[in-house]
Amino acid sequence: MRKLSLPAQLISQALFALAGLFVLLPVWGMARLAFDGSLRGRPTEFRWLPKEFSLEAFLKVLDRPYQSVDFEILLRNSMTVSISAALLAIVLGVSLAYAFARFRFPGRNAGLFLLLLTAILPPVAFMAPLYILLSILKIRTTLMALVIVYAAFGMPFCIWNMRSAFQAIPKEVEEAAFLDGASDLRTFFAVTLPLALPSIAVAGLVAFLTGYSEFALGWLFVEKADTVTLAMAIYAIVQNQYQGGAQPWSYLGSLALIIAAPVVAVFIVLQRALLDRMTFGSAGD
Amino acid sequence: MNQFLSSPFLRRAGYLLAVLLVILLGWNLRLNAATYLPVDYDEDDYLRAAQEYAAVIRSGDMSGLMDYNYRTEHPPLLKILYGWAIAGDPEVRLIPDRPTTAQPDATLPRPHLIHARTLGAVIGTLVVGIVALINPLAGFALSIHTFNIKYVSQVMLESLPSLTSLLMVLAYLRSKKSPRPAAWLAISAVFLGLTAASKYLYCVIGIAILVDWFLENRKTGKLLNWLTSVLPWGLLSIAIFFAANPYLWPDPINRLSESVFYHAGYASGAEEVQRAGYPFYQSLVHMFFSPYWWWQNGVFAFPYDPFLAIFAILGLKGLWKKERLYVLWMIVALAFLFVWPTKWAQYNIILSVPLALSTAEGFMALIVNPLKAWWVNRKDKAVLAAPQKNDLRRAWPWLVPGLIAFIILTLFPLTFQFGVSLTDFSAASIRDGLQGGLWRAISGGLSGQAPASIPTEFPYRASEVNYIGPINFIPALGYLTLPERDVLVFNVIWMVSSVLMQSALGLGLALLLRQRGVRLRKFWQALFIVPWAIPEMIGALMWWNIFQPNWGWLALAAQQFGENIPFGFFVGWERSTDLRMLIFLIPGLWYGFPFMLMAASAGLKMIPDEVYDAAAIDGANQWQTFLRVTWPLLLPLLLPAIIVRGIFAFNQFYLFQAFYALEATLSTLSYNVFNSGGFHPYGGQFAISSVINVLNILILIGFVILFNRWSKAGQGVTYA
Repeated sequence: MRKLSLPAQLISQALFALAGLFVLLPVWGMARLAFDGSLRGRPTEFRWLPKEFSLEAFLKVLDRPYQSVDFEILLRNSMTVSISAALLAIVLGVSLAYAFARFRFPGRNAGLFLLLLTAILPPVAFMAPLYILLSILKIRTTLMALVIVYAAFGMPFCIWNMRSAFQAIPKEVEEAAFLDGASDLRTFFAVTLPLALPSIAVAGLVAFLTGYSEFALGWLFVEKADTVTLAMAIYAIVQNQYQGGAQPWSYLGSLALIIAAPVVAVFIVLQRALLDRMTFGSAGD
Repeated sequence: MNQFLSSPFLRRAGYLLAVLLVILLGWNLRLNAATYLPVDYDEDDYLRAAQEYAAVIRSGDMSGLMDYNYRTEHPPLLKILYGWAIAGDPEVRLIPDRPTTAQPDATLPRPHLIHARTLGAVIGTLVVGIVALINPLAGFALSIHTFNIKYVSQVMLESLPSLTSLLMVLAYLRSKKSPRPAAWLAISAVFLGLTAASKYLYCVIGIAILVDWFLENRKTGKLLNWLTSVLPWGLLSIAIFFAANPYLWPDPINRLSESVFYHAGYASGAEEVQRAGYPFYQSLVHMFFSPYWWWQNGVFAFPYDPFLAIFAILGLKGLWKKERLYVLWMIVALAFLFVWPTKWAQYNIILSVPLALSTAEGFMALIVNPLKAWWVNRKDKAVLAAPQKNDLRRAWPWLVPGLIAFIILTLFPLTFQFGVSLTDFSAASIRDGLQGGLWRAISGGLSGQAPASIPTEFPYRASEVNYIGPINFIPALGYLTLPERDVLVFNVIWMVSSVLMQSALGLGLALLLRQRGVRLRKFWQALFIVPWAIPEMIGALMWWNIFQPNWGWLALAAQQFGENIPFGFFVGWERSTDLRMLIFLIPGLWYGFPFMLMAASAGLKMIPDEVYDAAAIDGANQWQTFLRVTWPLLLPLLLPAIIVRGIFAFNQFYLFQAFYALEATLSTLSYNVFNSGGFHPYGGQFAISSVINVLNILILIGFVILFNRWSKAGQGVTYA
């Protein structure tokens, strides 16, 4: 390959800038709202920059974004729900993933087919049946219900990805341990699991993020304000807008930025690993 | 015995029997439709035209044919035939002249209406018969095609031109193999002329012939030959057109231009065309739709059309191998209908024949051939299947705990969903349902103890859950394919176009970033990942903040600076179906391209530099290098990512939820699982939502099969 000439370099940079503009435009639009202290309801005039620069909305949102619920409670709910859901999906799924990665047994192909199918189903597919089932169990409106719902969303994906993580570990490593007299279980915990742990962690992270950023469906299950998660608070503000409520749009903007910022950071740091998991372990390398 | 079964005589007899049965079936369905279909738009117009011609025919002075052509925008040939069909009927008052916007006229005189319709049914059956002679299975598909039955069996202008255009194509095809091509070409030109004299639209099929003809001549390198033979072909057809169009004889130029230019004005100006607000791909929507089959006085028992269309799409490749002209016919006709602003349902009849032929190919490729192969191979397979290694004894302790969780959390809810889709569970019966009524209904229904029943007077109002059986699937499919809602076709078009755009932008940027010595590479890469990281609903809200019709950024800018700002043409997008599609595609592109960018970057890294060096030594320029080297090596690596993106796009939910909030006309299946309230006037949301959900899952099963097949090709995911 030739080295870039100056005009080619300039053209490339111009194209990158154009794409960057496309990427940033909507984010900028949201940030403009978030930092504008003059907004009383929805925006009424076109501006590139906030009219009155202010951090008021951020402070308000970090204090009490939704009704009478504190930010900390929302954050705690979010963390409890998404971490438990991710752990549940991983812990319950890990043995199944290992079995599919290492052993041959009747019905294996059918099982893999089902796994992949359930992994690509949209979360809405599980919504109604889980709603009905959790109602029958009378735990629909608890945080526990949200954990179960998000774990159900994430589990097939986690199993599929843990399976590919286990498969990536050479069989010979395990066989060596086995020959040394270790049992299946011991081999797994001492050899296989540590080697696969990074990939498993990334799969868990994806499951965590599903729970962290999901809210439209979560609202079906929640009735009391103290079981709302952070992401669901956004939806509450949106709904409030649609019903003619007068909360300033700067709240929506600032909450959206607060929720999105840590995720963006995680993605930038872990980009390659996340890509591999999200293509179901088939994106090369 | 086997020898006897495969004897040519028996094959021939079986073939003729099949053709005969298909013709009988087609005739039966069309006659039935002609007799019982309710009166539709336009039938009064053409029946009035027929009345005028009938009077001329009765008078015996045929020169009167030159004076009449009611609704001059359409040529008179079929109207004259309708006049001949009703000439023997008692004379009645002339049907009043009404605007094109008027509602269907239910008081049309009988038996005139029925006689004219029966003529259409006869011609429509002739088409079925000819198609059945080409391929009995295709004839069968055409004979049951709801769309075709409806529009050839009404007093419309579809039956005769579909016959003449088919004969034109067949004569042309014959000319390619015949020792005397000129004679067959002349026949085909005659039929082109007759087609033009029946309805202009069908001449589009002539363009497909020209394309095929051109390709044929390019292969042999005789392009000049093409021009010299096309010219007389066209002239002959024009002559026939005039000969078959007596209305033009007295004043050809003016009357012809008046007739032809009407359509341009109608397409751009008529109120009903504007009001319909169809997207450019409306003909595809119609292809997957059985025209309101439940309203048609019980003429149609079942909406076959969506199923036929699915087989047709899968059969196109096979049909191209057999006879590319039919596929060209389909492509040219679709392209024309995409571009032409008027998009009435009956225009789709120009596609009927290639659709039926392709359906037959798809059915063979998808159902018959695999079954045949399985039947032939079943013995070999049993012998070949080596005793598989079986670790079940070691595997089961690992399987059990995870399997229990997977069954409880994932499989059971889905299976339960299938159960709910067979009940009338709704808001009214929610109490009973949650207290065990659902179990009672599902288990009772599936074990056959409770008969399927639905109260006809107040469906979905019962306070107890009832087993109703799979009766909602076909209406739900009808709802999803309704032209006003257009969920299924939109969903597929949305998926394909958004993935294409995402892949193009992602791959383009990946190639640019890969150039040697590019500055700021890390910075740009990090920036481009941002949309991928932003949770989908938040991204959707960000775009909503720009495009909201009243107070979005764009709308506010347009209010302040007028509509001539950059991107000002987007203002008012919510009123235009095509713009709405575009407005959804922009956030779709924004979400999706980073993923494709990263997948492409990862793929590009795996292509060794030596390959490029070799290409450079061979003197390939950049474009050639990409086309011949990079792309073929990259595609298999990219396919899994493309499919994953496709599935994401197919399932896209939050974007539509954010943009619509309450009601939707263009949206994905997922959105309709969540918001199924619009479906049934009586409620019954749970039942309907679960039906749509089950349909969605069935479609996604297709995707999994594709995913597995394609990524195996790319050495990615395999079951092994």
